[in-house]
Amino acid sequence: MSITLDFDVKQLANKRQLELHYLPAKINGDGECANVDKYFNNYTREASDYGTGVLTNALRGYPLLGKREAVPKGYKGVVLQETDPHQAQRQLRLTGTFEEFTYWNYDKVPSKGDGYQQAMTMLQVAEALAAPIGEAELEEELKRQQQAKKENL
Amino acid sequence: MEDMEIKEENESVIDEKPVDINKIGSLKSLGPFIAAHENSQNTVYLSDVPAICKEQPCMLGVDEAGRGPVLGPMVYGISYCPLESKSVLVELGCADSKQLTEEKRDIIFNDLNTLEYANSCIGWAVEIISPNVISSSMYRRTKCSLNEISMDSAMGLIQHAIDAGVNIAEVYVDTVGPPEKYQEKLLKRFPNFKITVAKKADSTYPIVSAASICAKVTRDHALKVWQFPEGLLIKDNAFGSGYPGDPVTKRFLTEHIDLVFGFPRLVRFSWSTAENALADKAFEMEFDEPDSEKPKYAGTKLTKFFKGTTKTGEVKREECRFFKQCHLDNVTDF
Repeated sequence: MSITLDFDVKQLANKRQLELHYLPAKINGDGECANVDKYFNNYTREASDYGTGVLTNALRGYPLLGKREAVPKGYKGVVLQETDPHQAQRQLRLTGTFEEFTYWNYDKVPSKGDGYQQAMTMLQVAEALAAPIGEAELEEELKRQQQAKKENL
Repeated sequence: MEDMEIKEENESVIDEKPVDINKIGSLKSLGPFIAAHENSQNTVYLSDVPAICKEQPCMLGVDEAGRGPVLGPMVYGISYCPLESKSVLVELGCADSKQLTEEKRDIIFNDLNTLEYANSCIGWAVEIISPNVISSSMYRRTKCSLNEISMDSAMGLIQHAIDAGVNIAEVYVDTVGPPEKYQEKLLKRFPNFKITVAKKADSTYPIVSAASICAKVTRDHALKVWQFPEGLLIKDNAFGSGYPGDPVTKRFLTEHIDLVFGFPRLVRFSWSTAENALADKAFEMEFDEPDSEKPKYAGTKLTKFFKGTTKTGEVKREECRFFKQCHLDNVTDF
């Protein structure tokens, strides 16, 4: 089984920007969501009582609190789509890209404690793991560990 | 008929002196006032306070309209007048508002605002509680019941009247629930008033009838001038009474479902009628509710150390706590 990202990297720069919402709900349905502007964006309001930049809205009556969120520096958001996930050779096509999206919580002011923010730690972990280490740094670390051992004795 | 009225209003806007959209001086200006305010938020309106109500001790009535319907706003209303002006209320025809026809209520509301003998001694206020706010409040993580919303609105309006300088002495409140608790809560907040909470106060006390008429007329008009930010156009805004049993309302609910967003926000999502309709016809939607998860208090089992391997012999590894807390996990399927 293989997955092919079926698009040209050049497309990333000039593909249309998408307007995205990160919702605190799982929607068990598939298909185009055509009424976002009229049924949702129309109702987004600034809620300064909760802090600067905090937005309010509701989804099926459930109160939402949100914030505009930028994609982490150095990254680009992409939306991929595939027609048939059951094929052995899977192909994902590029629908669009995004630099920003609106993050929504269910009745909770968005904060560093949110699952999404926590999961973004992965970027730092990945960076740390992938960073090249030189001979000198290695020796430094070994020394530090020996020192720590001594102190503990 | 409806169209003609709107035309007339538009003309009067053009050739008379500019009409203040933020002022309700008659029945005619009620609709435009409501239409000019966002229907996804609550709106409060206070009439001018008659000078005499600032001097003489007044009675104040509180009632609500549109509590039960699955559609549209709930409206809270208050009205007040000097204790000795009770006869004016009777003269206006303020009686049990449910006994009055819609037409009669409209007339009384108009008289109340336009006739000098009435508007010189009676003042009123309403809060239009948006269905959007009702749903959102009832679906909060810490649920806020309709009773709480109601009491908050009633007390808010009384406070508005106090702030506007009304010399309140007696308060009469209509209630559907048990009066004792409500009365206790009101007395705690307003210890200086003589407060009466009663079932069917609407038919017993003319000042409550007046409040009830203001609330009911406002609710009726709010539905008539309702504009859908969703872009729906319904002829004459004919969506029925809003009561779940009404076939017109039922049809409106089944015919206007968006698979993702459910209903337009005229609908109170927190009503079981609305919930059931969506469960049947719209995409299933599950909200994150981690707060409702039950914590597991059982401690580590002593036998844990002997169970290092699974049946097939491989060592089962616990996920690293750091990653778990960060909501990170290994994925093999994409």
